[in-house]
Amino acid sequence: MSDVQFSPQRLDEILTLVKRYPKAQSAILPVLHMAMEDFGHLSIPTQQLVADTLGVRLMMVREVVTFYTMYREKPCGRNLLEVCTNAGCMLNGADELLAKLCEKLKIQPGETTDDDMFSVIEVECLGACGGAPIVQINGDYHENVTEHHLDDVIAKGRTHDPI
Amino acid sequence: MTTLFINEEEVTVAAGTSILEACRQSNVDVPYFCYHPELSVAANCRMCLVNVEGWPKPPASCCTPVSEGMKVSTESEALVKDREMAMEYLLIHHPLDCPVCDQGGECKLQDYAMEHGSGKGRYLEEKRIIKDKQLGPFVTTSMTRCIHCTRCVRFADEIAGTGDMGVLNRGDHMEISSVVDECLSSELSGNLPDICPVGALLDGPSHDVSRPWEMTRHQSTCTQCPQGCDISIESRGQDVMRIQPIEGSPEPWLCDRGRFVYDAFRNESRLLKPISKQEKVSWNDAINDSIALLKDKRIGIICSPDWSVEGLSAIRLLRDTAFKNAPVAFDLHRRDKRSFAFEEGFSQTTQQIEDADQVVILGSDLRQRLPLVMQRIRKRVLADKPVVRIGSMRYRTNSELQKDMLIRPRDWVSVIASAIEQVMALGKQAAGMQAWLDATQDRHEAGKVLADALLAETCSLLVGEEIRCHNDAAALIHGLDLLMRGCGHAEANNDGRNLIPEGMNAQALTALFAKDRMSVSDIFEDANQGKLDAILLIGSDPIGDGLFPVQAREALKKVALIQIGAIQGEISDQASVLLPASAYSEVEGTFINMEGRVRTAHHPLEVLGDQRPLWKIMMRLLQALGQDIPAVSLEELRIHMHRFIPELTKVDDKQQDAIFLSSARNRKSILPTQITLRTLDVVSRYSMYREGMWARSSELLRGAGERQKLADVIMHPDTLAAQAGSIATLDTDHGQYQFKIDVRDDISPGVLFISKRGIAGDISNVVSVDINGGSA
Ligand code: SF4
Ligand code: SF4
Ligand code: FES
Ligand code: FES
Repeated sequence: MSDVQFSPQRLDEILTLVKRYPKAQSAILPVLHMAMEDFGHLSIPTQQLVADTLGVRLMMVREVVTFYTMYREKPCGRNLLEVCTNAGCMLNGADELLAKLCEKLKIQPGETTDDDMFSVIEVECLGACGGAPIVQINGDYHENVTEHHLDDVIAKGRTHDPI
Repeated sequence: MTTLFINEEEVTVAAGTSILEACRQSNVDVPYFCYHPELSVAANCRMCLVNVEGWPKPPASCCTPVSEGMKVSTESEALVKDREMAMEYLLIHHPLDCPVCDQGGECKLQDYAMEHGSGKGRYLEEKRIIKDKQLGPFVTTSMTRCIHCTRCVRFADEIAGTGDMGVLNRGDHMEISSVVDECLSSELSGNLPDICPVGALLDGPSHDVSRPWEMTRHQSTCTQCPQGCDISIESRGQDVMRIQPIEGSPEPWLCDRGRFVYDAFRNESRLLKPISKQEKVSWNDAINDSIALLKDKRIGIICSPDWSVEGLSAIRLLRDTAFKNAPVAFDLHRRDKRSFAFEEGFSQTTQQIEDADQVVILGSDLRQRLPLVMQRIRKRVLADKPVVRIGSMRYRTNSELQKDMLIRPRDWVSVIASAIEQVMALGKQAAGMQAWLDATQDRHEAGKVLADALLAETCSLLVGEEIRCHNDAAALIHGLDLLMRGCGHAEANNDGRNLIPEGMNAQALTALFAKDRMSVSDIFEDANQGKLDAILLIGSDPIGDGLFPVQAREALKKVALIQIGAIQGEISDQASVLLPASAYSEVEGTFINMEGRVRTAHHPLEVLGDQRPLWKIMMRLLQALGQDIPAVSLEELRIHMHRFIPELTKVDDKQQDAIFLSSARNRKSILPTQITLRTLDVVSRYSMYREGMWARSSELLRGAGERQKLADVIMHPDTLAAQAGSIATLDTDHGQYQFKIDVRDDISPGVLFISKRGIAGDISNVVSVDINGGSA
């Protein structure tokens, strides 16, 4: 057993959820989201907790977690910037935007700044190509992002203001 | 049955067969990677495309069932193109490794690239590289070569039951991985490199040392457990490189014990020269020294069950001719020498066990003892067929058993008694039941589990070491036989009595020696009391293995030891003379497995030292003892063998699987006896990586065994409030011992579970102990 545990409320929620499916294993996706909400990221002990809770094998959870890019296995900074570099955004300058962003934060895509304030990752099409280039910041879509906008974001983030 | 046409030939196969399987059965070549007859169908390599008349697109033959009148063609211009494309796709990231890859020469990818590939790749972009992994002690990887067929993942899920392999990531980033690096805790892990169609999963010990085409193959029988798998021992020059399964054998897999024991075939523990008084000597001198110790002496014979039947027959000839009344023991664990209602050996094939309505495992660590029978059990469980177990520990399995009852060894009588009572209450009778019941007092709830299972139409009883080595084994087995009879499991047509033997050739051993059988402890006892002058030990190690190392050591202080063997054990230091015999891998001969299946090895491994086949040593001894030699050739010896075991005359290579030797039966009534016991029952455990001289000499197995090690002395936490780490003083009939206790809750309360070796080795012969206080 791992040290990570769901709170009793969370467990109730999971049990209600599981009842909606024919098999407990079908609830892997939503339960992983809950776990990520609770623990920030999906470490192996957390994945083991999900596996034990649903009565499936750890490997199955691992397969699901790694299949989808929106599950994070590593801890990330206080602010998560997800830069789309798929076709639409690439045509509108996403690659340069990403390079600039990384330069400003002095990290590589996939990394977190030393002060744990920002993490940057590269993601596939977010389905909002109309507003390319897109950066998803802490879950919100920011469309037609410019370098200037990024400066703003970084400044706000540094002062702990909501972005 | 379904009739279809493959390349215009009419073939008939069972309904529901896949097109690929139909092609395989009719020897039509269809290339495939991900399909494996023992695994579920994944259909992800797309190599097995065929044309079906009237179908717009070529289907994957591995996942398309046949239908009546279907017209399949496996060759067409379009298919040539399709296969070429499938190959190009599979080869996109594949490195040009063939010259340095272990698989080269027996690689599907290589063969198909030659046969179906275009000879040139068009992919110029960056290739990806995947980090290598270590999967357990025996499997290394070169993951960049992986073609994602997922055979290994399905193997881990379906066969090994560990489920610790999987597919991580997606698309171009996809990779095969274990849960954590360094995983795969299966006793069948050595099969992974075999099922991997490419050179991604590699046999660790033979990695980077040889090429398949350099090997000489020696078909033989594994004698590392009673299963007796068909093996192909592969050698290059004088070195043994690896052991491989033989295609088309009764069991599709080999276990790690049998596969990786081979390093002991050629290591320094082998006995290659005759030794007398610790000095290497000539055969003549050694024989003379042995004769000096044996001639006109009272001897006890202890032999290992793993010699070929020819070798065992030669032992019998030696005994009959020169040592008429010598006691013989061929098992280091059995305490009860009376003959059993059903003797060691199976009455069913493993397939019949898999198919039976019910399977009952009684007191056996089946997964370690008979890993491939456990595999059959696992197949049953996956198919929702019941398996129940009664025993003193919930031995690790890889499947969930329907019922799993914990009892102490002393409870067997009351379990069987209560089952008999319940069966009788249903009006099912067998003569002798009442007498058996009358000899008992207590009843145990686990009896219900046994009785319920026996009521099934067909029931396989797998009777294990906890009963076989029980003091009162003959009575218990008689009780089980009564139950089987009462429940209509007639020996003639519905037998299910399987007593798991200690080693190979159980049926032959019973036929050869049953009359003169002793428990090995009796022989040591006789030696101690001055009733014997010498012990002739042929092939086993009663100090390193078995339940009686203490008695063995005591006895050897009093009598001389002449040891004949292929490998030295812990006892060898004490031998006055050591005569080297050829190992199982080095002899031509007959072997019989627990099912009674007969195999003949024809192409033995080359002998490196001065060792001789056992039968020749026996004849030489007879000659030196001044006796006529009963056989001067293997052919002559086989005449004697056939006289001892007439069934063997019927066996020839062509119908190897048609004849099964049955185990001996005894209809005499044997009733349980009441004995007083101390408070705790002692059960000694078995480790597939450490039991036997071969396994202990194998460094490969020793390494794997380390990972599975348990503490030497284990109890249930409820047993006298045992605490992990506390030191307990145990009173036995032979004195006091102190041990550090570990606790686990998968052991029956009231049982002291010990390893036969190490600190607890000295009490392995003890049946029960009193615990005398414990201190933290
Ligand atoms: S490692 Fe081998 S068996 Fe496993 S998926 Fe890759 S190619 Fe197939
Ligand atoms: S199952 Fe037994 S006979 Fe088969 S390979 Fe393993 S040890 Fe040898
Ligand atoms: S390409 Fe960036 S949102 Fe679709
Ligand atoms: S064998 Fe049919 S798709 Fe792989």
